[in-house]
Amino acid sequence: MASLGVKVMRPGLWIGLGVMIAGGVLSLATSAAAETHVVEMRGFEFFPAEVNVAIGDTIVWVNKDVVPHTATAGDGAWDSGLMETGDEFSLVVEDTVNVGDYVCTFHPTMVGVISVD
Amino acid sequence: MFRKIFLSCAAGLLAVLGASSANAEDGGLNDMQIAHIAYVAGQIDIQYANIALERSHNTDVRAFAETMLRDHKSVNDAALALLEKLGASPEDNPTSQSLQASAAAKRAELKALKGAAFDRAYAANELAYHQFVNKTVEGTFIPAAQNAEFKDLLGVALATFKVHEGHAEALVGKLGK
Ligand SMILES: [Cu+2]
Repeated sequence: MASLGVKVMRPGLWIGLGVMIAGGVLSLATSAAAETHVVEMRGFEFFPAEVNVAIGDTIVWVNKDVVPHTATAGDGAWDSGLMETGDEFSLVVEDTVNVGDYVCTFHPTMVGVISVD
Repeated sequence: MFRKIFLSCAAGLLAVLGASSANAEDGGLNDMQIAHIAYVAGQIDIQYANIALERSHNTDVRAFAETMLRDHKSVNDAALALLEKLGASPEDNPTSQSLQASAAAKRAELKALKGAAFDRAYAANELAYHQFVNKTVEGTFIPAAQNAEFKDLLGVALATFKVHEGHAEALVGKLGK
């Protein structure tokens, strides 16, 4: 969970810090069991459309289409930028700031959701 | 104005579609001719997008045009890569030529417009153009394609253009009358 320390200053950071301080032992346990979830961009959809994660997990998007896509937070908090065919983008889900709806900014009908247990 | 442009566009497309069907009846289009038409169809939409980026200040119109540039280039690059792999090259044909002629007329119409009138005409043309191309790819090109990999690529192109059609439809709705 060391990555929490370099998180940009946002209101959600304080929630994240609170969780880390209050549940330090739990955080370490979560960190040890961190999983990687792969989301494919395929046929102009995110597969799976909803990914359920735990804090500390990593989500990896892979573009399997012929055309470029993005994975971009609905609130703009994170953004893969342009992903060509075969490109990957990783996001460590550091705290609740990162969850919720996200889109491909190039194709507005491409939407996905990150939910946290 | 809007209605007139739309009607003249539809007439141009029907003429092209007529040429396409006539050709198919005369022994059908071969894969290299289909590849040429599909490539030209992509280039035409790239040209429309370039006009939009020159003329429009509307954020939604510009974002749509950027996506058309990016996606049609990607699909056309994929088509060229496949043709190269298969050792084939696209073959010019009357359908490609009539497509290009009607697109040149449409470009002249679009270039005569500006502001909101341009935005609406561009969006309406994108919707009509993608509807027409999708109907042709799905109804004529995919059934006629012989090479399996080429047929698959046409399927990928169709999926892409259908997303564009939906995007264009949303854009037309957002811009209003
Ligand atoms: Cu996309």
